[in-house]
Amino acid sequence: MVSEAKLSHTAAIILQAISSGCVYGFSIMEMTGLPSGTVYPAMRRLERDELISSRWERQPLADAQQRPARKYYKLTSQGRTTLEASRKRYPLLERMIPSEEARSL
Amino acid sequence: MTPAPRLALSGMNRGILHCASMLAPREQRADWLREWSAELWHMRRSCLPPGGFSWRFEGSVAAFCLGAFQDAFCIRQLCRQESQAGSSQHGSARECLLWMGGLLVVSYILACILPGVSLESHPSHYQLNPGLVLLQSELFTDSSAATIHGQQFLDLKASRQSGIDGLAFYRLAKEAVSTGHDAKPKWRVAHASLSLFALLGTSVSLSGALNEPAGGLPAVVLSDDLWKREFSGNPKVIGSVVRVGQSAAKVLGVLPRGSWRLPGRADAWLLQPDTEIPRGAVGYVVAHLTRFGQSEIYDDRVHINGFVPDDPEEDLWGVSFGERTRGPWTIFRFAIFLAFLALPAITSVSLGESCFSSHRPSLVKNLYRWIFLGAKIALLLSIAYFASLDLSYWNATGYSELSEYAQLATSFFICLFGMRWILLDQRERCPVCLRRVSHPAQVGQASRTFLAWNGTELICTSGHTLLHVPGLPTSWFETQRWMYLDTSWKFLFAGTGVG
Repeated sequence: MVSEAKLSHTAAIILQAISSGCVYGFSIMEMTGLPSGTVYPAMRRLERDELISSRWERQPLADAQQRPARKYYKLTSQGRTTLEASRKRYPLLERMIPSEEARSL
Repeated sequence: MTPAPRLALSGMNRGILHCASMLAPREQRADWLREWSAELWHMRRSCLPPGGFSWRFEGSVAAFCLGAFQDAFCIRQLCRQESQAGSSQHGSARECLLWMGGLLVVSYILACILPGVSLESHPSHYQLNPGLVLLQSELFTDSSAATIHGQQFLDLKASRQSGIDGLAFYRLAKEAVSTGHDAKPKWRVAHASLSLFALLGTSVSLSGALNEPAGGLPAVVLSDDLWKREFSGNPKVIGSVVRVGQSAAKVLGVLPRGSWRLPGRADAWLLQPDTEIPRGAVGYVVAHLTRFGQSEIYDDRVHINGFVPDDPEEDLWGVSFGERTRGPWTIFRFAIFLAFLALPAITSVSLGESCFSSHRPSLVKNLYRWIFLGAKIALLLSIAYFASLDLSYWNATGYSELSEYAQLATSFFICLFGMRWILLDQRERCPVCLRRVSHPAQVGQASRTFLAWNGTELICTSGHTLLHVPGLPTSWFETQRWMYLDTSWKFLFAGTGVG
């Protein structure tokens, strides 16, 4: 388990983006404005630290829509706890990327 | 813009992804490329400008693809870190014991395979009757030299010494031997008394009694080497007649390999009555001492009066065969003794137990440390024993002083330098986890030794201890010291897979 103090601002933004419903790499790039060379490596590290997990979309679903299958990311329970702590540390995080709940209100 | 350049740019982007995928670890490459290709497809689809083409869009697509290099490199680094964390056995106590155990197994297997070693390591194969001595003239100091004349032996036999109840003579000579083939090879033949083997107590694979003439012919006993070399180990040769020199002899048996421990190397033993011993021939005399005679042995020797009462030149020494039949274990024990005696001359025997604070590892940890040290020493001694046998006796066929010296030297050096390594290794092992400390860092300056700390600092990769080794021992920092790290250091080792 990685300590909360080690989570950088970029990693916190990416966690917040995933929490807000951006579930694949390119959508996170669009939401955060970060380049691909930053987003994807950061996601690898977050996955290694078990803050996010990934799964491949089912192939028949992608085939039905005539597109390649994508890899989706979601927060783990540990990731949610860490994100909560990061929100306290970076108070502007939620304002920059509102979470799904906040947007629905 | 025509579709052709667009296709070319698309191909270029895919090429970039393929090139970047080469950086990714092989086992993750396909998955990685699949994700990036899918992302590229969706990016193009979602960001395609209304006109279908713009340089700005293509530029952003290329920049997106170039980011794949950073991602692939990151994955590679993560994999490497994982494999390093997985190989956390590196430098551990278990790894050390496994290596030593492996060496022991190899040296033991070699000892079982090599014929000379398996022969030498079983003293029961070459044990002689107790109370046997080799008689030698007092004028000679070399115990392997032939010093007794045939006449002297016969006189000694006739004199009936009180401490001796058995005597046998043998002399070595090269003889041309005819085995029925045209070629007449020359064998080293020991012309021996009929009672020689009975006196020695050596077992011989026989087809008849040794001390009886075989059908009027003298008996000949072949050495195991000769039997295999000249007769291909054919058992039918036993009972056949061969011509040794001028006389015919019947092959009566084969002496097992390595069981001849007396001076002189022979291919065959021609057993003859003592009446046929040439008076002037020089040879060896084996005597069996009575209980009284054995009580007179001092320092492996016994003095035997010559048969001429007032002629000291005729006096003899009876030299015990203990040296030739003691086996490798005695030599090894002596080598260990010498090595432990010499150890303080080449390294400090201290284990470097001092530390900066009053903190000490628990009793259980201390016990593990001592058990580990004991296990290393036990493994080293076993390795030294078998390795020295392998190196010294790999091709031995019988007793050889040279092999004994070789065993003494090899076991001494393996024990000495092995113990030195064990102590050095133990001093550099964290007292808490027994892992070797690593990442040496030079601290301070040699020119300021007496003003400030100067030396090398090593750290336990599990985060338990720091080891301070002074560059120059001083009165205030003479030996290495351990510093036990408290919990405030833990965050430094978080996520390394250890700790």
